[in-house]
Amino acid sequence: MKLANWQTDKQFLNSANCSKDEANIATLIESYGKDMDSKYLINQNIRNSSISSSVIKRIRMYSGVFVTTAFVFFATSITTPLQAETPEEKGLAIAIEADKRNEGFVDTTATMRMVLRNRAGRESLREMRSMVLEVTGDGDKSLTIFDEPRDVKGTASLTFSHATEPDDQWLYLPALKRVKRISSKNKSGPFMGSEFAFEDIASQEVDKYTYKHLKDDTLNGRDVFVVESYPAYKNSGYTRLISWIDKTEYYPLKTEFYDRKNSLLKTLKFSEYNQYLSKYWRAHRMDMENHQTGKSTTLSWADFKFQNGLKSSDFNSKSLKRFR
Amino acid sequence: MKRIYTNIYPENRNGLPLKKSIFVITGLLLSTLTSALAASPFDSIEYRGNVTAELLGFSQPATHNGDHRLNTSISTEVEFYYPFSSGNSDLVVTPFVRVDQHDEERTHVDFREFLYRWNNDNWEIQAGLGKVFWGVAESVNIVDVINTRDAVEGILDNEKLGQPMIQLSWLRDQGSLDFLILPGFREQTFAGEDGRPRFPFVVDTSLADTSSFTSGRNVDFALRYTTTIDDWDLGFSVFDGTDRDPEFIPVFGDTPADVRLQPIYGQITQAGIDAQATLDSWLLKFEGIFQSGDLTEDHIELVTGFEYSFFGIKDTDADLGIIAEYLFDDRDAGISQAFQNDLLLGMRLALNDEDSTDALLGTIVDLDSQSLTFTFEASRRIGNSFKISANAVVWADTSEDPLLQLLSDEDYLELEVSWFF
Repeated sequence: MKLANWQTDKQFLNSANCSKDEANIATLIESYGKDMDSKYLINQNIRNSSISSSVIKRIRMYSGVFVTTAFVFFATSITTPLQAETPEEKGLAIAIEADKRNEGFVDTTATMRMVLRNRAGRESLREMRSMVLEVTGDGDKSLTIFDEPRDVKGTASLTFSHATEPDDQWLYLPALKRVKRISSKNKSGPFMGSEFAFEDIASQEVDKYTYKHLKDDTLNGRDVFVVESYPAYKNSGYTRLISWIDKTEYYPLKTEFYDRKNSLLKTLKFSEYNQYLSKYWRAHRMDMENHQTGKSTTLSWADFKFQNGLKSSDFNSKSLKRFR
Repeated sequence: MKRIYTNIYPENRNGLPLKKSIFVITGLLLSTLTSALAASPFDSIEYRGNVTAELLGFSQPATHNGDHRLNTSISTEVEFYYPFSSGNSDLVVTPFVRVDQHDEERTHVDFREFLYRWNNDNWEIQAGLGKVFWGVAESVNIVDVINTRDAVEGILDNEKLGQPMIQLSWLRDQGSLDFLILPGFREQTFAGEDGRPRFPFVVDTSLADTSSFTSGRNVDFALRYTTTIDDWDLGFSVFDGTDRDPEFIPVFGDTPADVRLQPIYGQITQAGIDAQATLDSWLLKFEGIFQSGDLTEDHIELVTGFEYSFFGIKDTDADLGIIAEYLFDDRDAGISQAFQNDLLLGMRLALNDEDSTDALLGTIVDLDSQSLTFTFEASRRIGNSFKISANAVVWADTSEDPLLQLLSDEDYLELEVSWFF
């Protein structure tokens, strides 16, 4: 079964009032739960029954395309938590709230500039333009057009993201006029040789992780939630991520990435947040430091524009040649 | 393999009038373009391109033509882009120029594109000289029949000549339909008398027989439908017109040694299917055509295989891909059906470092003659604007293969430096 069916069947799930009723959920498992991913979701659902209907619903991007610690559920129609909230429930609730606050951006365009630094301090430059289309009932569609380095100028990548199923991904090679479907399995590989892995810059969906609230704390004078998250998709390079989430605005200030051996691999710091349309917060600067190699990458965002009237025909693998 | 071989057929010097006319046309077009650019607000013109210097070294002196073992060459390709104020149409002009030390046929000019493009969400029109790519395979794209190859460019390059076309496309989320009207036809280029690598035979383009095009209706047609269904990308195509790959007829001169080849362009009707399944680390690929024509019997050709990738080998950032493709042509072996029963085995290494270092090692095994063709391609970026690459082709075990035997002295290594702007 495809995960997308969960969204298309959203009304059915709502009417089943499953958030209160584990028996209903069990019925759902019977009717839907052949698939491992779905079972996983449903199990999680049962565990977090106080907020389960939101778990069934799905999940949007947090910050444009490219924020690691994105927490992306929408719809938190919640029942009364009679029992004490477990750390897992609280972690998930934070993710859901963060997603809710990013709902309805429709589409976004922005420019990206990456400065890569190796241990010796040598720098190289990447420049890209990003377009994202919010998709109701599935992961978002995103398009990245490369401007620097110049030998890849005009190259474009198109991604249809999905929560736990593999993303669909195409690459347009302008010299050959060739559109290539490529494997999206390589989650942990470096994006353009930077310290950002593909999974760090991919469209983030709440379903992609499970969560656990560790503690409340302060960071740089801000009250934060400290939340641990565990990738639920295959082929991640991480065992866990720890994120410091602003308590007021629900955006991340810092994330630590732990590798497959559970050693600290990278730290990402978010800064220069601006708010758009009185709702959507976007970090304009992201600093990723690799503690194991000594390399670092600074990703700067600019020219955020929302609700540009982008259409799904702009995100067609055949129309990649239109972009410059 | 057909393309690899036809690439390196030699050519007589008699192609000059054609080349002159190309220069004249190019000059006219360039001056038109220059004045158009000068008359328009200059800041809206965008361009990108490269200049590439090339050094070619051969393992043996040539036995059949010029005795040089080293050849230098320089080329440039610039794409000018002019968006019209309406916002949904633009002009793309991409001139290409190469100057070659020895081969006057390789010294040439072309417009890869001179294309007016208009789109309105789901509709798209392109008119002018253009370039398209169809297919999924890594070795040969047998469904890709629209553009004639610019074969003098090199064995490993898939360079194409700009094709006169009017293309109407209907793009939907469910799939896309392309209808192409092709009112002109370009002859394939071949290495000249002093060009290397090439076969000892001379392909004499001055003898080229294009009568099937000129005496026919003079317009070719093609239709293509592409769609994505889950993990599958599918393409269905039909082409009716002049074969971009010529057949050859030997023409005998006064002495037994004087044999030249006359390229003949026939009329074909071809239906093709291409498919790729993208399943985790596997890319499964298939291209198949059915072709009939006035110079060829009805036949099928197939290319099918896979690419499997090991991502992040040994806890590094590097990826290693294994490629295997089988090539089949159900006609009897002949000079222009060299990919009759062949296997391509390849290995692709991408370091995924900040310099995008990668390498591709390939072997084409002719399963009938056991002959081997080794190919090697590697490249890496230098800074933000330069790239170096090394390419090589080596033939081995050709004793049972009368065709490849003729290339045993043509093994070469090519070094390139490109500046991108």
